Amino acid sequence: MDCRKEGCSQPQEEDIMDIPLDDPAANKAATKIQAGFRGHMTRKKMKDDKPREEVSMRCCRRLG
Amino acid sequence: MAPKKDAKKPEPAKKAEPAPAPAPEAAPAPKVETVDLSSVKVEFTPDQLEDYREAFGLFDRVGDNKVAFNQIADIMRALGQNPTNKEVNKILGNPSADDMANKRVEFEQFLPMLQFVVNSPNKGTFEDYVEGLRVFDKEGNGTVMGAELRIVLSTLGEKMSEAEVDALMAGQEDENGCVNYEAFVKHIMSV
Repeated sequence: MDCRKEGCSQPQEEDIMDIPLDDPAANKAATKIQAGFRGHMTRKKMKDDKPREEVSMRCCRRLG
Repeated sequence: MAPKKDAKKPEPAKKAEPAPAPAPEAAPAPKVETVDLSSVKVEFTPDQLEDYREAFGLFDRVGDNKVAFNQIADIMRALGQNPTNKEVNKILGNPSADDMANKRVEFEQFLPMLQFVVNSPNKGTFEDYVEGLRVFDKEGNGTVMGAELRIVLSTLGEKMSEAEVDALMAGQEDENGCVNYEAFVKHIMSV
């Protein structure tokens, strides 16, 4: 198992095994969170692009 | 054993009616749900329409006053919505990968799609997100392990890519690799 963070005090392997892959409630919770996160990230990206929108409407801008 | 993107999301295809049903249901939804967009009543104000038209235009990289299927989710997000990918697929009629890349949508066709999402009852509130993350708070102390959260986000639900997770988690973990999820959610909801 790959321990991503050196600073973690808890045994990561057990936690990884505990991830409830088939639990509908956990999946539903995850989906909702992911939807919110994706929304946030898109809006953040848009905000960063906004000042340049008039110039770069059709060039070199990855909005897809 | 990675989960497939099954229809575990128990959401009936409502037609422009804000039905109050955010509680987790046990009944599995049918695998292929579609939305009847012709029955969605578009109720945006002129100001909103102007904003939406502007955003729509920003996404038109071809210049035909249309956007591709695979841009619809992002336009909706840009306009403040948080649709799941599954919801967008449903709205688009369960398109193939080819459809996603090549089919294009006019603004007028987009509006009922957006309205449908706006009307949908599964809006994520602060409490929803906190509650969702609390599921992974093993010690019940308001924190989740960053590493575990990363794994959850990339293996459950609508899996996020490593790049997405990295971007999301940047700066969120403390020196112990833990995330205070209430603060995290506040940060997410600030945009």
